[in-house]
Amino acid sequence: MIGILKSMATTMKHALDGSTFTVEYPETAPDVSPRFRGVHKFSQERCIWCRQCENVCPNDTIQIVTNDQRQGEQYNLHIGQCIYCRLCEEVCPVDAILLTENFEFTADTKHDFVYNKEQLKAVPWYKDIDPLAAREPDRGAWVGEGDGEVDYQ
Amino acid sequence: MSTGLERGGQPPIEVTEDDLEALIGDRALARDDHMNAPGFVIRPDDVQSVLTDLRDEAGFDHLANLTAQEYADRYESIYHLRKYDDPTQEVSVVVPTTTDDPVSQSAEPVFRTADWHEREAFDLVGIDYEGHPDPRRILLPETWQGHPLSRGYDQEKPQLVTLTEHANPVQPDHHDDESDTMFLNIGPHHPATHGVLHIETVLDGETVVDVDPDIGYLHRCEEQMCQQGTYRHQIMPYPDRWDYVSAGLLNEWAYARTAEDLADIEVPEYAQVIRTMGAELCRIASHMLALATFALDVYGDFTAIFQYGMRDREVVQDILEDLTGQRLMFNYFRLGGVAWDLPEPREEFIEKTRDFLDELPAKVDEYNDLLTGNEIFQIRTHDTGILEPEVAKQYGCTGPVARGSGIDYDLRRDDPYGYYDNLEWDVVTEDGCDNYSRVLVRMQEVEESAKIIEQCLDLLEDWPEDERTVQSNVPRTLKPDADTEIYRAVEGAKGELGIYIRSDGTDKPGRFKIRSPCFHNLSALPEMSEGEYVPDLIASLGSLDIVLGEVDR
Amino acid sequence: MPGQIAGATAGTAAFPAVPLQETVLLPERIGELTGLDGFGLGGELLATFLAAFLIGNLMLAMTGVAGPWAKRKITAAFTDRIAVNRLGPAGLFIIIADAVRLLSKELVVPENADRPAYDLAPIVVASSALLGFAVIPMGNGIHLADPEVGLAYVFAVSGIASLGLVMAGYASANKYSLLGGLRAVAQNVAYEIPLVVTGMSVVIFAGTLQMGEIVSAQAEPFVTIAGISIPSWYALVNPFAFVLFLVANFAEVGRNPFDTPEAPTEIVAGYQTEYSSVYFVLIYLGEFLHIFLGGAIIATIFLGGPAGPVLPGIVWFIIKIWAVFFATQWLRSAVPRVRIDQLIEIGWKGLLVLAFANLILTAVIVGLIA
Repeated sequence: MIGILKSMATTMKHALDGSTFTVEYPETAPDVSPRFRGVHKFSQERCIWCRQCENVCPNDTIQIVTNDQRQGEQYNLHIGQCIYCRLCEEVCPVDAILLTENFEFTADTKHDFVYNKEQLKAVPWYKDIDPLAAREPDRGAWVGEGDGEVDYQ
Repeated sequence: MSTGLERGGQPPIEVTEDDLEALIGDRALARDDHMNAPGFVIRPDDVQSVLTDLRDEAGFDHLANLTAQEYADRYESIYHLRKYDDPTQEVSVVVPTTTDDPVSQSAEPVFRTADWHEREAFDLVGIDYEGHPDPRRILLPETWQGHPLSRGYDQEKPQLVTLTEHANPVQPDHHDDESDTMFLNIGPHHPATHGVLHIETVLDGETVVDVDPDIGYLHRCEEQMCQQGTYRHQIMPYPDRWDYVSAGLLNEWAYARTAEDLADIEVPEYAQVIRTMGAELCRIASHMLALATFALDVYGDFTAIFQYGMRDREVVQDILEDLTGQRLMFNYFRLGGVAWDLPEPREEFIEKTRDFLDELPAKVDEYNDLLTGNEIFQIRTHDTGILEPEVAKQYGCTGPVARGSGIDYDLRRDDPYGYYDNLEWDVVTEDGCDNYSRVLVRMQEVEESAKIIEQCLDLLEDWPEDERTVQSNVPRTLKPDADTEIYRAVEGAKGELGIYIRSDGTDKPGRFKIRSPCFHNLSALPEMSEGEYVPDLIASLGSLDIVLGEVDR
Repeated sequence: MPGQIAGATAGTAAFPAVPLQETVLLPERIGELTGLDGFGLGGELLATFLAAFLIGNLMLAMTGVAGPWAKRKITAAFTDRIAVNRLGPAGLFIIIADAVRLLSKELVVPENADRPAYDLAPIVVASSALLGFAVIPMGNGIHLADPEVGLAYVFAVSGIASLGLVMAGYASANKYSLLGGLRAVAQNVAYEIPLVVTGMSVVIFAGTLQMGEIVSAQAEPFVTIAGISIPSWYALVNPFAFVLFLVANFAEVGRNPFDTPEAPTEIVAGYQTEYSSVYFVLIYLGEFLHIFLGGAIIATIFLGGPAGPVLPGIVWFIIKIWAVFFATQWLRSAVPRVRIDQLIEIGWKGLLVLAFANLILTAVIVGLIA
C-alpha cells in the first residue's frame, strides 16, 4: 500500500511542477548538434570527380556519370535511400560533398527524393551552420594511408 | 586496479588443447583452428557424442553460436563452444558434410539452443539436421524456394508461390472438438510484441499451454549485406541497424572487435576510453527503454513510467548526438578507433554528461518509487516467468536475462575488451530467476554504467592533449588472409553479441554470421511462460527485452 | 414522502445559505414552467421526457469533454507532456474535431459477427449508465425521480452494462473480444457484491434507500470544531466503507488497476477490439458515463451529494464526480494492472470479506448508538 501511494505521489509531483519535456514543433525547433547528419550539399566547384564517394557508399545511393574525358556530367543522390552514414563526406578529399544538419525535407513521391546535382547544390545550410568545423575528422588517418595496400581507384 | 571485477567462487578448470585432443581422440578427423579457438573437424554422425563429451567432461556448457556455410566442395557447420565460467576458453567443432547430401546429426539433444540455430542453418544455407525435432524454416516463409546463403542460389529467380500453396501462418483452423483449448495468435500486430513478432499460443482458459514464437517478419538479410560490404568502411553502418533501439555503439563494437582482431589492427588507448564511454551511454539508453516498455506491458496504456523513461533516454540520446552526430544510427566507430574526438568545446560536453550522471541517482530513486517499490508491480512480477539457470544455459541466454537467473556471465569482465578491465565496476546478478529480478538487474546495470562513464570522463578530461589519437593508421583496403576464421563477441545491451567472420582473401567477408543475443533469449520464452497466465506471457516477453531487428537480422 | 426539504435542515448544518434539496423534481418543475402539467398524463410524460433529455445531454456533454480532451490533458500533466493545444483555447475544439473524425470513419463489421447482439451491445453499454442518472440528486432541483428504492435501482441498471460487455465480447467473433468479455463478466460479478454490500452500510446509517433522503441525512452535523460544524458525510463517518466502495467502484467500471477487460497490452482492446466508428463512440461514451455514474453514486452516498459551501449544488455535484474521474486518471498513470486471477482473488477473498465485516460492524455500532 505504501508503495502504491508513493507511486501516486511521484506522478502527482510531476503533474504539479508543470514542467514538460515535449516541445511544440515546429514553433520550438529541437536543438540539433553541430555534428548532426542531414541532407547532403554538393559543391561542383570543388568536386574532382574521383568517384570515391560513389565507391564507398554502402548502398549505392550516389550515382556519378562522367564523359569519356572523366569530366563530371551528373551527380545524383537518392536521399530517400541514404542511410546518413557520412562515409561519402569522410572519404571526399576536397570536401565537395558534405552532410548539412538539414533534416526537414519532404517530397510527394519517393522518386522526388532522387536529387540531381543542381538540387544538391541548392540544399540550404541549417540555421547557417557549416557543419564541417564541428565534424573535423582526423584526416591524418586517411592521408597517412598506413602501411598496407593502398587502393586509390 | 579492477578489484571490483574478481569473480567469486572457484576458478574454472583450465582445459588445454592436449586435453581436448585426448578427449575427442579418434573422432577428430583433422584440426581446423580458428583465430579465437582450436577447431576440431569431426564426422557428421559424431556431433552428439563429441558435444556431450565437451559439455560434460571439459565443461564447455555454452553453445555460443552455430555457423553454417557452403564451400565449393562441402557444407560446414561450426559449433562455437565456450564456458559460462570462463568465456575465454573456447573450442570450435567443425562438421563438414558433402555437397550432394548435406545431412548432419542434430545437436539439439545436447544443447537446446541448437534447435533454433539448426533451423536457421537449414533455412538459409540448406544443411539438413538428422534427428532435429522440428525441422521447419525459421526466418523465411514456409513456402520459400531454395536457401539464400547457399552458393547455387539464384537471386534473380522470383519466388512464385501459388495462392493455394501459400501457407498463411495465421490462417490454419486449429479447431478441435476433442480439446477445450483455444488457439490464439498473439501478433504479428499486437500492442505488446515489441515489433513484428508472432506468437502462436494455445490457451486453456487464461492459462498458456503452448507457446511457439514465429519470427522472421523483420528479416533484412543483414548477414548477406555485410558479406557484400568492404571491411574498411561499408560494414560499420549496418550493426547500428541490428538492435536499432539505441544500442548502436555496442553493436558497432562487436564488428569493430571482430574485424580488428581479424586484421590485427591496434586501437589507441584514448579511442578505447571513448568507445567504452559511448558504449555505456548506449547501454543506459537501451536499459531505459527496456524498463519503460516493460512498464508499458505490465501497467497498460501510456503510463508515467514509460514517459519518464523516454524523457531520461532523451538526455542520453542528446549526449550521443553531440558525440556521434546521430541519435540512433551512429556509425561512430571505425576500425582502429572512432570517427571523432569529443566535440568541442570539450568542457561543455563533459559538463553535460556529468550533469546527466549527477541527476541519475534521483531518477533511479524515482523509478524505484514507481516501479520496484509498488506492491502491485511486485505481485505481478514476483515468481512469474521463471527461468532456471540450468535452463537458461541450455538456451544460450546471456546478458541481463542470464544475470537475472543468477548466471555470473559478463563479457566485459570475463573476456575483457576496450578499457573495462582498468575500471572499477561490478557485475550485477540477481538470483530470483523471475521477471522482477530481470528488472532489478537492468536498474542496477544503469547505475554501474554510470560509474563506468564517470571514470571514463575523468580519464578523458585529464588526457594529455598531444596523445589524443582517435584512430590508428589503418590501410584503406583491408584484405585479411584467405580462410582466416574468427568468432568474437562483446557484451551488448541484450547479451553476448558475437560475430563470426571467414575471410576469403578479398576485401569483403566470405561469411559473416551474427550471433544475436535476442534470438537466444527469445527461444527460452516457451520455458518461461508455459503454465502461466496470458498477462505473465506478455510480461515475460517484455522482460526478455527483445528487439526484433536483432532476432530476425 | 419524497424529497424532504433539505434546505430547512440545512439551517443547522454547515452550509446554511444554499438549499441542498428541493421538494419539486425536475419533471414537475418543467411541467409547471411550460404549462405542460395542464395536459394530464400526456403532458406529464412530455415534461418527464424533456427533463430526461436535459440530464442525458448534460451527462453526454461531460463525457464529451472528458473523453477527447480532459483525459488527454490530465494524462499529459502526469507524464510531463503538453497534449492537445492547437485547436481553440487549450485545445478544447479537439472535441469537435474528434467527434467528426470518429463519426466519419468507416463502420467495419466482422464477417462472422452475431449481428443483433453485435449492434445492440454498444447501445446497452451506453444506455445502462445513462439510466442510472435518473435517480441521482444533482442539486438545484435537478433530479429526475426519487423512488424509494433509488440506491437499489442505480446498482441494478449499472449492472446491466456487464450484459452489454459480454454481448460485445461474444458477438464480435474475435478471440480477444471473447477473452475481454469473459474477463468483464468475471470481474463485474466479483465486484458487484462488495459494492452493493458496502452501499448497504450507508443504508444502515441513513435508514433509507431513497437517494434524496440519503443526501439529506448527510447534511446533519457530524462534529463541530471551533464553531465550524462538519456535516456527517458518510465518507467522514465511515472512511473505511468509503475506501472499500471506491476500490470496488474502480473495478466495477474497469479502470486501473482493474482494467483487465480491456488490458491493451494483453488482449489488444478486449471486448471492444472489433468496434469502430459510431459503435466505438458509443462504447467509449458508455465507459466514461460509467465512470461518471460511479462518481455520482460515490458523491451521493458518501460525499453529501450536491452539498457544499458558496457554489450552487449542481456545481459541487459536478466537481465531486470530476474528482472521481480525476482519481481514475491518476491511478492510471501510476498503478500497474493486476492479473486477472489476482483480480478475482482480491474481489472474492479480500473485498467481499471486508465488505461484510464493514456491514456487520456498522450494523452493530449503529444498533448500539440507537
